[in-house]
Amino acid sequence: MAKRPSAPAVPRKRLTVTDYTLFAGVIVLIFFSIYRVNDVLVYNWNWQRVLSFVVRFDPETGSYSANLLWYGLMTTVRLAFWATVLAAIIGLIVGYWRTCNNLTLRIISRGYVELIRNIPPLVFIFIFFFFISSQIFPALGFDNIDRESVLVDNVLFRIFFGDVRLFSNFLAGVLCLAMFEAAYIAEIVRAGIQSIGKDQWEAARAIGLSRFNVLRDVILPQAGRKILPPLAGQFITLIKDSSIVSLISIQELTFLATEVASSTTKVFETWILVGGMYFCICFGFAVLFGWLERRARRSFK
Amino acid sequence: MHLFKHMKALLCALSLGTFTAIATMTPVVAESVLEDIQKRGSLRVGMATFVPWAMRDKEGNLIGFEIDVATKVAADMGVDVEFVPTAWSGIIPALIAKKFDVIIGGMSITPQRNLTVNFTQPYAHSGQQMAANIELTDGFSSLSDYNSSSVTISCRRGATPCNTASKMFPKATILRFDDDAQAFQEVVNGNAHATISSAPKPTFWSEGYPDKVHVANNGENLTRGDEAFAMRKGDADGLNFFSNWILVNTSNGWLKETHDYWFKDQSAWKDMVAVEQ
Repeated sequence: MAKRPSAPAVPRKRLTVTDYTLFAGVIVLIFFSIYRVNDVLVYNWNWQRVLSFVVRFDPETGSYSANLLWYGLMTTVRLAFWATVLAAIIGLIVGYWRTCNNLTLRIISRGYVELIRNIPPLVFIFIFFFFISSQIFPALGFDNIDRESVLVDNVLFRIFFGDVRLFSNFLAGVLCLAMFEAAYIAEIVRAGIQSIGKDQWEAARAIGLSRFNVLRDVILPQAGRKILPPLAGQFITLIKDSSIVSLISIQELTFLATEVASSTTKVFETWILVGGMYFCICFGFAVLFGWLERRARRSFK
Repeated sequence: MHLFKHMKALLCALSLGTFTAIATMTPVVAESVLEDIQKRGSLRVGMATFVPWAMRDKEGNLIGFEIDVATKVAADMGVDVEFVPTAWSGIIPALIAKKFDVIIGGMSITPQRNLTVNFTQPYAHSGQQMAANIELTDGFSSLSDYNSSSVTISCRRGATPCNTASKMFPKATILRFDDDAQAFQEVVNGNAHATISSAPKPTFWSEGYPDKVHVANNGENLTRGDEAFAMRKGDADGLNFFSNWILVNTSNGWLKETHDYWFKDQSAWKDMVAVEQ
């Protein structure tokens, strides 16, 4: 005898007493942990000292100026931005290749994805970095850029790429990160493309659209909506993963934080602050993607 | 159509060829790093933050013994100085990958390191000290008391103090951290008995927590170290230049004077780095 499905639960709009008790319990637990940590930890807290590495007040001129951690944050944002752009491009191409009929392209893309997905990010970044920085960059002359040239000595360059002196360092970070994340994005893109039925391909081809047009006008708009949530997760992961490149001395937030921590010996303040900074960027991204998702759904209706 | 297919294959082969050519390109004549420096007009120095060798002042600028040394080397060469802050564990690979010309980073000469890089004459002679938790090491009368399986010693990984720890105290448990501040915090918290680090850092640390931490071995150094500039192998000219720069500045007393300024005590420069009340 088939059981009658029960009526779907009405979404609750109000919090009940149980919810409030639960929240209160969590808050108490947090404060208790903080209290316990303070009890066990022998530590002279000094937030002022670390905060002055974000924005520094100069008592002589009476003005505020950005300091090391702020520059690090900006580098992380730039790094995440360019790596996202590059990873999205590579990921889209490789992801499409994974679904192609061409065997060579399938082998290349499969090889790329499997190679990167199955080794730890740290190992990949370490090896790849020393390869590009000792072989590719000198050959392309990135280590000896003319700093006075008009191309690099302007405001736009500084906004998008930061200090010229650190350009090759920055570029290495972007490449490592993008190469690494692209493998994961490729898999998401492949899943998205394959989720659209073969019949749509055939129908679109039958009305005379070229392969490129089918992809651009039929497949990707549908796949795009489906892959938005996992893609958002991957981009947020990318921002957090950008901290890995501190190990190859890319001058981003985590690297500069280690410098500040060891100069000031204020380890906890530094890392709590830096954790908060990462949270702000990632949460900002999450909100942005949430909005995009809602928009995409609306336009679908 | 056929022609097109062949073209594609040809292009593929060509790009692969260039790629391998770049990858295997080696300079025909070994040029000295000195010429690169002069051509570029700047000396690139690899270093890592390490009090008081190199650290950040309140404005975020680099200061310290090493910074003074590298600045003077560059000034004597008539070029600018450019510091490349590098994670300590990757500093030798970064030198070999030509990220900078020379490591002036308080690197102690060890035979193992010397197999991969060349060292100049030493420009500083520091040693290692041990900061110990007063409560945990209560009743420890000599260094041999630390050589016990119940003792935990922390240190910065990839650095010589870790070798010292495992050599002097083979029975102790060694905790390796990414940087000194964490290694020291373990001692203050009582999770490790002691931490070994280059002098005078343990002294400075114990001044911050006088009732918790003291310098073991009656404040004496455990070892003596010889710190030198490190360079890529196969560059006799560069090595000669830097070694003799050190020789000259040892003879005229400049190195000793500068070393004393940073290492004797913190009073001369403490205000530059700290706003601690």
